[in-house]
Amino acid sequence: MSLSLAENMAAPGGALRRGATARLLGWMGDRTMLVSGLVLMALILLFCFLGGLVYPASPVAIHGHHAFQPPSGAFPLGTDQIGRDELARLIQGGFTTMVVAIPAALLTFAIGLIYGLASALLPAWVDKVLMRVLDAFLALPGLVVLIFFASLLAPSNTELILLLGLTSWPGLARLVRNEAISQRGRDFVLATRQFGGGTWYVARVHLLRVMAPILVVNFTFLLGDSVLALSGLSFLGLGVKPPMTSWGGLLQTGLNLIALNPWWMIFPSAIMIFASIVATNLIGQGILARLGEGR
Amino acid sequence: MSAVLTLDQFSVALKRGRGKNVPILDDINLTVAAGEMTALVGESGSGKTIASLGVIRLLPRGASTSGRVMLGAQDLTTLSDAAMRKVRGRDIGMVFQNPLSALNPSTRVGAQITEVYRLHTGESDRAARARALELFGEVGIPNPADRLDDYPHQFSGGMRQRVMIAMALACSPKLLIADEPTTGLDLLVARQIMALLTRLRRERQMGVLFITHDLSVVEEHADQVHVLYAGRSVEWGSARSFFEQPRHPYSQALLGAVPRLGQARLVSIPGNLPDPETRPPGCRFAPRCAYREDACDEAYPAADSMGGTMFACRRGRTITPEALGVSEQAVAHAHNTGAVVLQADAVGVDYARSATSFVRGLFGGRDRLRALSDISFSLRRGQCLGVVGESGSGKSTLGRAVLQMIPYHGRVILDGHDFSVMRGRERRAARRGVQVVFQDPRESLNPRMRIGEIVAEPLKLAGMVGARARRDAAAALLDRVGLNERMMSQFPIAVSGGQAQRIAIARALATKPAIIVLDEPTSSLDVSTQAMLLNLLKDLAESDGLSYILISHDIAAVSYMADTIAVLRGGQLMEMGDAASVLGAPQSSYTKELVAASPHFRAIHQAGAVSGAVAVADKTGF
Repeated sequence: MSLSLAENMAAPGGALRRGATARLLGWMGDRTMLVSGLVLMALILLFCFLGGLVYPASPVAIHGHHAFQPPSGAFPLGTDQIGRDELARLIQGGFTTMVVAIPAALLTFAIGLIYGLASALLPAWVDKVLMRVLDAFLALPGLVVLIFFASLLAPSNTELILLLGLTSWPGLARLVRNEAISQRGRDFVLATRQFGGGTWYVARVHLLRVMAPILVVNFTFLLGDSVLALSGLSFLGLGVKPPMTSWGGLLQTGLNLIALNPWWMIFPSAIMIFASIVATNLIGQGILARLGEGR
Repeated sequence: MSAVLTLDQFSVALKRGRGKNVPILDDINLTVAAGEMTALVGESGSGKTIASLGVIRLLPRGASTSGRVMLGAQDLTTLSDAAMRKVRGRDIGMVFQNPLSALNPSTRVGAQITEVYRLHTGESDRAARARALELFGEVGIPNPADRLDDYPHQFSGGMRQRVMIAMALACSPKLLIADEPTTGLDLLVARQIMALLTRLRRERQMGVLFITHDLSVVEEHADQVHVLYAGRSVEWGSARSFFEQPRHPYSQALLGAVPRLGQARLVSIPGNLPDPETRPPGCRFAPRCAYREDACDEAYPAADSMGGTMFACRRGRTITPEALGVSEQAVAHAHNTGAVVLQADAVGVDYARSATSFVRGLFGGRDRLRALSDISFSLRRGQCLGVVGESGSGKSTLGRAVLQMIPYHGRVILDGHDFSVMRGRERRAARRGVQVVFQDPRESLNPRMRIGEIVAEPLKLAGMVGARARRDAAAALLDRVGLNERMMSQFPIAVSGGQAQRIAIARALATKPAIIVLDEPTSSLDVSTQAMLLNLLKDLAESDGLSYILISHDIAAVSYMADTIAVLRGGQLMEMGDAASVLGAPQSSYTKELVAASPHFRAIHQAGAVSGAVAVADKTGF
């Protein structure tokens, strides 16, 4: 019996099959951080974008008789102080958070990338001007600027995206510039220029490619930052406006009633914010760890 | 003479992937006698570095060894880790290739030496410092007392290597392991380091295990030579007999691959070094050997001996290489009549350096540093200009000026078109006529592009339309440099250094340039790979009428390729002229020194028949 088992394992087909499974397990085993981050992120996004289909209750309907109730069969995450379904609000808050945070991160990324590449590739005097402007931006504390403009403008969702995008790019821009400068002197870039590759071509074909991993990593971090910044603003009442809500807003409502210990109004939104940040950081760190190993 | 180190049936296997043991080194028998130098010679992948790490027991995790490593009467393989730690540094000193990475950049060199000494002897700080001072003097560092408190970056490459040697000698070891200690150094400096090692081992009766890929380095310093190929010894014995008459075909090919003045063609070895997992069962060199018989594939040949060396070859007794092809310069230097393709008139380069005065710096003032002063030359079609000099001589700067990569003054005229009067599109198009091949083949290929895309890129930029047409053209280019088009879907990481350099050449050929600037094209490659590449370049020059500017510190490679040689030092032209006359009758004292430092030329002057070449070179495969 044991002999035939050993034979089976030694058979080429068996070895191959085992190899495939082992490879997949090995791939995931080596990438614990990346895989768990991706899974967590996927769950969060499913919750935000498809949660409403599975749990179609209205986030704004007021159930006066059931106000301020802990979780029950009818309201899995309870109700708030005026009787709105907390789970429905958590889903809608998540949707709003993502709908603002993801485009904001994209905008930040685009501005940072273009600004950084321009600074690295345009003539030295342009670089000098751009970098001094960037220093000025960096000198202002980001959150304070955000709060200032948010309280001044009482922004809509679109304005929030612009606001977040226009205030958080300097860090990425500096990173892109420094990376592009260190790459642009490499031999393959010099060779490309020698057979007629222009600045724009070099940036598009060579720099973006070699910088791709770093850019992906930083985009995931930006996404996390963006969720956090939006939640912060909403927490201060400067973000998403009622009747819409966001995770930050939900957390604020719960904490305002802290004396009554409404744990069901505090933990779910806090956990979602926390999980989003953890997920993006796991993905980013996971990729970084792989990069460190590969090169 | 008593043996300091004896390897007895020493084998190493490394773990690859999950649970797979791959033999890297098999059955090595080697001795290093007191006061003598044994050269362990092999190309990359031969297992020479694994052998040295095996001796000091610093192999990667998961490695397993068998056989014995005797240091004097002590078997190192049986020692505990703690005991082995005491042996390292005290009984065995080590010197590595790159002293900058072997020295701690944030600690003064004196402290690094005293650390080793105190660790092993328990002496006081003061005694250790006195010892360090003494060692600095012994290894020839000028003003030792002043330099003890300098940091590694304040030393030049050669001086850093001396510091490393001083550190290795701190506890008067019986054995010194030197792993390619001269490889990154300029010729003259490398020569001084070799002389230093020879003096030290004689004075101290210390054995030296010298690991190198370059036979010519050890030609006049080693007492014993031990040649490794694919993890096995192929030939070993006294250096004198070995260099007089190598017996193994691989040893013969290695010697024949070293360029010598006036040689018609270098010996290159077809094929690739086998991967440790797919080594042939019989003689490992057989698949690449010109003398292969069927019996060679059956079992690894038993060691045989003749004329002072032992060799693992069935036919080693009978094969004698043909006499070295000294061709009276006839073939290589027949192009003195072609049209002038490139003319440089008083080309000079100044670098801006931050102003020394703070006030001037504030107003944007710059001090100018002359990197190259007013060099003029002309290059004919099909000719090669060799530019020789040590690092910092301005030879690469000259290349970059010709390539229009950096601002310069003076004029560079390509095919009658003066770059200094061209602008924009016209200038960009003209630049395509001068291409470049860099030293590090990996750096010159974008790691995230497929090879097909890399080779087709210049075609795309030159406006060739149709992905299909570009693909076919790229395949044809790869074919010209002896590579298979199947490689096109691979990334650069998947190919060897020599193949990567061929890809870079194929790409340079894409725009049909008149001139290629070769900036140290072979200095990061193995000797046999270098031979193949130089042969390829020579063929291309002949078939296409290509001209080269070959920039190199390796005077041997330059002598093989160049029709005209320019010698640079500190940005100044020391000497320029016909290759044969510059090397044969150098005028400036610096050139004389350079030529004298190159062992190959002395070999030539001794009537040429010192070592042989195998059959005719072969550029197929690779």
